[in-house]
Parts: sequence; C-alpha cells; structure tokens
Amino acid sequence: MPRKPKKHSHSLRHRLVTFSPFARSKAMATRNRGATKVIEKPKLQNKDLATSSFNGFKNNGKDKTQQSGSSASSDDEEFEGDVQADFVFFDPKPSDFHGVKVLLQTYLDNLQWDLSGFVDLILGQPTVGTVVKIENDEDDAVYSVVSALNLGRYKDSKCVLELKDYLLKVCRDMDVKGKLKSLVGEHVQDVGLLVSQRVVNLPPQLLPPLYNGLFDEVEWATEDEPTEELQSSFRFKFYLIISKIYKHKSADQNGGTVKNGEETLIYNRPEDEIFFMLSSWSFSFPSHAQQVTANELKNYRPMGLVMVVEASKISSFRKQLHSLIDE
Amino acid sequence: MATRLQYENNCEIGVFSKLTNAYCLVAIGGSENFYSTFEAELADVIPVVKTSIAGTRIIGRMCAGNKKGLLLPHNTTDQELQHLRNSLPDSVVVQRIEERLSALGNCISCNDHVALTHPDLDKETEELIADVLGVEVFRQTVAGNILVGSYCTFSNIGGLVHPHTSIEDLDELSTLLQVPLVAGTVNRGSDVIAAGLTVNDWTAFCGSDTTATELSVIESVFKLREAKPSALVDEMRKSLIDTYV
Repeated sequence: MPRKPKKHSHSLRHRLVTFSPFARSKAMATRNRGATKVIEKPKLQNKDLATSSFNGFKNNGKDKTQQSGSSASSDDEEFEGDVQADFVFFDPKPSDFHGVKVLLQTYLDNLQWDLSGFVDLILGQPTVGTVVKIENDEDDAVYSVVSALNLGRYKDSKCVLELKDYLLKVCRDMDVKGKLKSLVGEHVQDVGLLVSQRVVNLPPQLLPPLYNGLFDEVEWATEDEPTEELQSSFRFKFYLIISKIYKHKSADQNGGTVKNGEETLIYNRPEDEIFFMLSSWSFSFPSHAQQVTANELKNYRPMGLVMVVEASKISSFRKQLHSLIDE
Repeated sequence: MATRLQYENNCEIGVFSKLTNAYCLVAIGGSENFYSTFEAELADVIPVVKTSIAGTRIIGRMCAGNKKGLLLPHNTTDQELQHLRNSLPDSVVVQRIEERLSALGNCISCNDHVALTHPDLDKETEELIADVLGVEVFRQTVAGNILVGSYCTFSNIGGLVHPHTSIEDLDELSTLLQVPLVAGTVNRGSDVIAAGLTVNDWTAFCGSDTTATELSVIESVFKLREAKPSALVDEMRKSLIDTYV
C-alpha cells in the first residue's frame, strides 16, 4: 500500500485500513461519521483504572461533528470516508498468535528467524503487554501490539539469540558496536526490548494510552509478579527499540544536511522521533525488505533504526508523546 | 512423510507452491532454502519448476492442476506459459483459460479423478476442467465457503477440509470424492487448509507453525507413513471398495 509521510491534520480524520470484511462493512455503513472512541477494559481488578473517563473519550467530539460536515465532501474522493471504531485494549493471549505474527513479519527486516517463538514469548506474558482490537469484531483482528520483554529472562530462547546475532551483525558503527555488545552481554538482565507494531493507519490518539498502559504495567509488575526473580526482571534500566525510518539519499554525502528544505529523516512512527531525541545511543542500517515506495519517498532510502533509551527518561517520553499527539 | 517449511518467514506455503503427482511448481523470489527443500524430497521422482504466474509469487492460488494437466488463469504471460510448457512432462497438458475468477487455485480443488469447484464458475470452464484435467467436476461448498480450493485439499488417498465442516457435509464430500476425509486445521489453527498445506500421494509439505497434532492428523489421513510413488498406488485403487467414509 502506498505510504505517505505523516501530516499532522488538525481535523484528525483517521481512515482505518479496511482489510477485513467486517471493517469494510463498517466503513460502508458509517460514512461521514467521525468520532473514534477509546475504551480501556479493566485489566487488573486491584488497580483503579479510570474506565469511566475513557468511555467518554471522544476525540475532539465537538470539533469533529462540526468539521465532519465539511470534511465529508472532501472524503468522498477517497475510498471510504470516516469510520466509526471502538478500540479495545486486551492482555495478550495465545489465540492472538496469527494476528500478532502478521504485525511482526518485518520486525527484523527480511531475516528468516524464529518469529513464531518470539510471538509466543509476547503472548506468554499477559501481565505486561497489550493487544489492540476492535469491539465485537467477528474477525478478531489485531490492530496493534506492544510489549516489553526482558532480554535476560529469555536469553536462552532461539529467537532472542537470533535477534542478538542479527543486531550485532547489522551494526556497522564501530563505537556503538562496543556498547551494543556490552548491553546484550553483561547487562542483558537490565534490558527491556520494547516491541511496538501496528497497522499503518491506526489513529495516533491511541498512542498515549497504549504507551502509558505499557509503562504502568511494567511498574506494577515489579510489585505484583509472583516471584522475586520475575519482579526484578521488570526493573529495566534500558529499553532497546528496533524500528524503521527513511533517510534522505543525499544525507550522507552532504554531511548530514539536505538541500530543498527536505527532511533528512522521516520517522514511520511519531513516537520514534521522541525516543530518538531521548536515546543514549543509536545506529541505523540499510533495510533490504521489499517495500512499496510512494512518490514522495523516492529520494529516501528505507533504514532500520536501533535505539537505546534509559528507563529514567520514560516519564519525559510520556509527557512529550502526550503533547505531540494532542497538538 | 510430511515436511515443515517456510517461505520468507511465512508459513502459508500452499500459496507459494503447487504439488501434484507429476510435477511441482515453486514460486521464484524466495530463498534457495525453500526450493531446495522441495528438490531434496522430489528431485528423483518429479520435476520441480520455478515459476511466476501473472508476474506474482502466489502461484499455488493462481493455478489448478493434477498429473494430467495444469490450468492457468487468463493473466498468465506468454513467457510464463511457454516456460511451463517446456519444463513440464509432455503428458501434462498446460492450458490457459479465460475465466473471470482468475485465482483458480482458490476456486478449484482436485486430485487425479475428481474436482470440486466454486459454484459460480463458468460452464465452459467446467467443461475445460473435465477435459484438461480428466476429472469429474462437482460444484460444491465446504463448510459454507464457496472458495473450495482454499478450504480443502485432497489427494488420491485422503483429504483434509475446513474444521467447521459438519458430519453430513463430510459424508457427502467423501462419497463424491471417494476418499476418506477429515476436518482439521493446519499452521496452528488456521482454517485455510490449502494455503498451509500442499500434498500429493506420497508426500506433503506444510507450514512450520503446524503443530505435532496437526501433523499426525495429516500423516494419517493422507497415509504418508507408508507412502510410495503414485504409480503403485494407482494400481491398488482399482481393487478398492466403492465407498469410504
């Protein structure tokens, strides 16, 4: 599907990728309606989640109904217009296997690795991690998954070993390589792999509650997990993030600057920009997976980006993400 | 024996390959591993041909065939058609057909004697299937799904169908097809059988997510544990009783 650089549209119209028959029928039935609601189901009985406030969480409800009249006509030339969708957050469970696997297909570029094992690790951790679905969806499709995996806890599993080898292999930056080696070597118990994948057009309003939920769960896990070992496994000092960006083709030659006022780097996901600014170190590597390139991206090369963010910076990340999405 | 494999991290190998008793088609573009797994099993017995259909890699879903023939959709290019005609044995009739429903692999499921087809297929197509593939054609649905080619797979020995097929449907299909059928899943609970599994009379290939239970069901219904190349099996068939359930 053609990809466009994200524009911050103030009307916040968000079209769902309608790849399931249910979503398509919803789109047909609800043209011209614009509100998307976020409902957070109570995930931990003993924690006080403000579910009532989320029930009323309509995205700029008033603004949207005023604007939807005018935006409806401009939407007609696009294929489906606005879609009414109620997103629900769930704990990962084994039946989500296929949906999560599809989202993680290109996680390590085009490497053949034990992806199924990796998905099993995520699904085997219901206390930390979230899966986003649509309410009453007969297809039960997964629209997004986030999780934090302690690399030390799973260091003996095949998928984590392959992941470490891959990262060490693609890291071409010699000064960073040493840091990476020590991170996945002696400090592996303190590292949380932050996995976050979603469908392309997932409304960004979901991101703050999604990430807040994840980091809250990590905190609760340090107290709630049954054994001391598990509790300490969630006391991350570092988060390791693997994501994708687009780098301008002439960026390297001109010493990091680009003419025409074009951006040097384009981030696929808005939170990656914040993570990058807060990161202790990072490296990028050329990506080989087949991608459909939109016309606007023809001057850009797809790259993978690996970043490490200290856990202490997370509260700053949460604030910045909130202000970024709410603007 | 059933072999588990992947195509570029994807377990839907029935999408990227087509296996019959006389030849095997494999999609181009995957790693050499995919191709060589098929070669290792089949090289001495039948040709393994790398190809694309209509420029795509989803060849398993675009074409339908058995040992007597191969049907290709209208959007197959001339070069692909010629390549297939050259690479396949002369006994196999390769035919490109004009059918609106171009994903023939999803619409037609067949073995060397019977074919099940999508209920909306053209009459001419039905006749071509009977002609080119030398089979008896039945318009059917499987568990209420019209894409019979996707939701069931059968060889001359047995068959696997969508897990929600009722007992009555199972009996009816079994009578039509004259082979024992079992309702089951492949690739860890996926109900799109033909996407995850490709089978002939003596061997099967399925996605690497297939669990040990699913694999044992496959090996038992397709009788793969004591399998031999189909020439011998064909001889046996004539002496077998009329109805299996």
